Amino acid sequence: MLSDILSPDVFAAAMRIATPLALAAIGGTICERAGVVNIALEGMMLFGAFVGVIAVTYAGNPWVGVFAAAAAGASLALMHAFASVTLKTDQVVSGTAINILAGGLTGFFMEVIIGHPGTTDPVPRLVPVFDFPVPSAGFFAPMWRWIDVIFLSHTPIVYGTILFAIVAHWALFHTRWGLRLRALGEHPRAADTVGISVVRGRYSAVLFSGVLAGLAGANLTLEQVGSFTEGMTNGRGFIALAANIFGRWTPGGSYGAALLFGFAEALQTKLQLLRDVITIPSQFFLMLPYVLTVVVLAGVVGRAVAPAAVGKPYEKG
Amino acid sequence: MDAALLEVREVTKRFPGVLANDKVSMSLESGEIVALLGENGAGKSTLMNVVYGLLSPDGGELYYEGHPVKVRSPRHAIDLGIGMVHQHFMLVEPLTVTENIVLGNEPTKIAGVIDFSTARKAVAEISKRYGLAVDPDAVIRDLSVGMQQRVEILKALYRGAKILILDEPTAVLTPQEVRELFKVVRSLVDEGLAVVFITHKLEEVMAVADRVVVMRDGRVVGEARPSETDMAGLARMMVGRDVVFRVEKKPSVRGETILEVDGLEVLDERRLEAVRGMSFDVCAGEVVALAGVSGNGQTELVEALTGLRRPAAGSVRLSGKDITHASARQSIEAGVSHVPEDRHRRGMVLEFDLAENMILGDHRLEPFSRHGVMKPTEIARVTEERVAAYDVRTPSIRVLGGALSGGNQQKLVLARELGRDPKLLIAAQPTRGLDVGAIEFVHQQILAERDSGKGVLLVSLELEEVQGLADRILVVYEGRIVKEFAAGEASDEDLGLYMTGGGGDKFAESTEVSVKGLGT
Repeated sequence: MLSDILSPDVFAAAMRIATPLALAAIGGTICERAGVVNIALEGMMLFGAFVGVIAVTYAGNPWVGVFAAAAAGASLALMHAFASVTLKTDQVVSGTAINILAGGLTGFFMEVIIGHPGTTDPVPRLVPVFDFPVPSAGFFAPMWRWIDVIFLSHTPIVYGTILFAIVAHWALFHTRWGLRLRALGEHPRAADTVGISVVRGRYSAVLFSGVLAGLAGANLTLEQVGSFTEGMTNGRGFIALAANIFGRWTPGGSYGAALLFGFAEALQTKLQLLRDVITIPSQFFLMLPYVLTVVVLAGVVGRAVAPAAVGKPYEKG
Repeated sequence: MDAALLEVREVTKRFPGVLANDKVSMSLESGEIVALLGENGAGKSTLMNVVYGLLSPDGGELYYEGHPVKVRSPRHAIDLGIGMVHQHFMLVEPLTVTENIVLGNEPTKIAGVIDFSTARKAVAEISKRYGLAVDPDAVIRDLSVGMQQRVEILKALYRGAKILILDEPTAVLTPQEVRELFKVVRSLVDEGLAVVFITHKLEEVMAVADRVVVMRDGRVVGEARPSETDMAGLARMMVGRDVVFRVEKKPSVRGETILEVDGLEVLDERRLEAVRGMSFDVCAGEVVALAGVSGNGQTELVEALTGLRRPAAGSVRLSGKDITHASARQSIEAGVSHVPEDRHRRGMVLEFDLAENMILGDHRLEPFSRHGVMKPTEIARVTEERVAAYDVRTPSIRVLGGALSGGNQQKLVLARELGRDPKLLIAAQPTRGLDVGAIEFVHQQILAERDSGKGVLLVSLELEEVQGLADRILVVYEGRIVKEFAAGEASDEDLGLYMTGGGGDKFAESTEVSVKGLGT
């Protein structure tokens, strides 16, 4: 019974579901560490997902789509940086505006480019990186099957995200880039007085987060689904923001939190499939990810402290 | 003759409506401590912010080692060899000492990876060389204010500062930390640095400076060597007139009893007994001063008397009426006015303008409002009147409270509290952080209140203030009144002895208490 529920495909699905959340969450981490709130992750992800599909439609190669998605995320991020760093507008207002804009832009260009609302035609996807022959018999066969499904069945961005989370986490605490980033979000004036440019630091952090959110969108359309549907990000950008907080504003923690959400979601799907065997109303399973969110929030977030200067525009002098 | 290390020539800096620096000139040599003395708002910090590149001057020149320079930014100042420790520290709290010190000048291995062992070694080396011991791996927010200041100084030294500007460095320190700082500053100068010490405290100038430059209203008004002048001379230069250190006062005319406190006991936040059975009274026409070292129950006592904290036992009566359990509002209505010890937290709302601050507590009463609707013209009229009467220096009553200097903020609080014509004034550390001119004003107001037949309870940590104003002095120690003196009866030494738990008839009991205190 339990082995039916906790089968290898649940763990594999958890990693897949976690990937866009983790990418966007790490984007949020970097952005907030620099002192800028980015609630526009949702919109940047959606726009990236859309532009990625459009690029593949014309270019044929899914890798072109990945780059286009990153650029699309960055372009919205540039607007956010301009509004919140240069013009010093309220960062939540700017982020909300960008989320609305992303929804409008994708809907509009669906009509203009694709010719109809709703969903695009399927495009070529990125394929799994590894393709090992799985031995069908022998002592190690069951274990090998587990490893293959959980760890070796994934597409490039899934692996890239894990790698990136590790590198970014290390870099945040061991490099000049990381030290300066942390200073910017805590005490920008202190950074300014020792010659670190607050404007440049914040711009690059916001752009970076846009690239990551765009890549999260690319993972959705060009690795998981294979087509674009309006509004398909469905709140993932906001869950990513929560994951960033669960992860205490660290890339490693963000990935871990995203993985937890991914696991809850995968488990929920699995339990729904087994509803004939388990006679519990399916609504309970639907609740699972949210219950988990509440539990984690209550247990962990109480002690998490945000960067001191987050959300505050920097006034020189 | 060699050129001065730093020379400021006729620097002018304007802010909207204010001439902050008016053709200011001064110079600085290696190996000397120059005190930049002046009242709050005299333009000392502005001048140093110009030198440090935080502000660009509207006129004048800077010469560094004889060469004309334009300091474009703090970074540029640092590169020249000018370091500054601001009043509000420029430290990133969650980072370690080492991280803060190297921030912006990080030693790196390949690809921007910080070489922490080199960084730690560099920090250890300068902290040893200048005798500034500090744990390089401690996180800033765990350090005391004095230690944080030390990190700020190390930060400047790490960047090769030849000039160190300290902006009111003693404002946040305990007396012990101040002594430590003076030692450090002296050792820096012995190593060949030049130090600019911004202050408004005369004792500090006398204690530490080699030379004093005095500023007033944006101009340099004089220069002196502490050895060739005295505090009175410096004060005259700073304020522009003779300053009376000890206020002249008429003999007290005692009237009927206003405040009667009987067996009062008050608990603090941790539910420990902070006030352990105090009994005293305050009569009309007298100033009763509560003298004591901070933390001996004064804060809790004042809160209990003003309705901010519920007493555990005992009674408080005002003109015969029981106000033991009165709320803050009932206490105000009964005739108690309160100048709180922390004017930013309790005295005023920094984000409100002067008019709004002026009516706090009286806002719901006539003539300021009727039927719950405020009457702006009446509020403005009264505010204008009181701002003029209490000499609050401000461009307009629409300025936010937070924009005023400390002295003017305190005048505003006094104007409000005395303006409602109370029976009793409770003033807790009313001159904390103020410069001499403002202190003099506050003292005069307190005595004027007394002379008009009000009762005044003064809580102060400053012996000079207690001695100067009080008609009766109550010494508090560990939540009890351990001694009462009439005005002029006790020397500072006598007071100090009782304040720290020693002294006379109480000696046996007090030593027991202090031994117990050491054990916990």
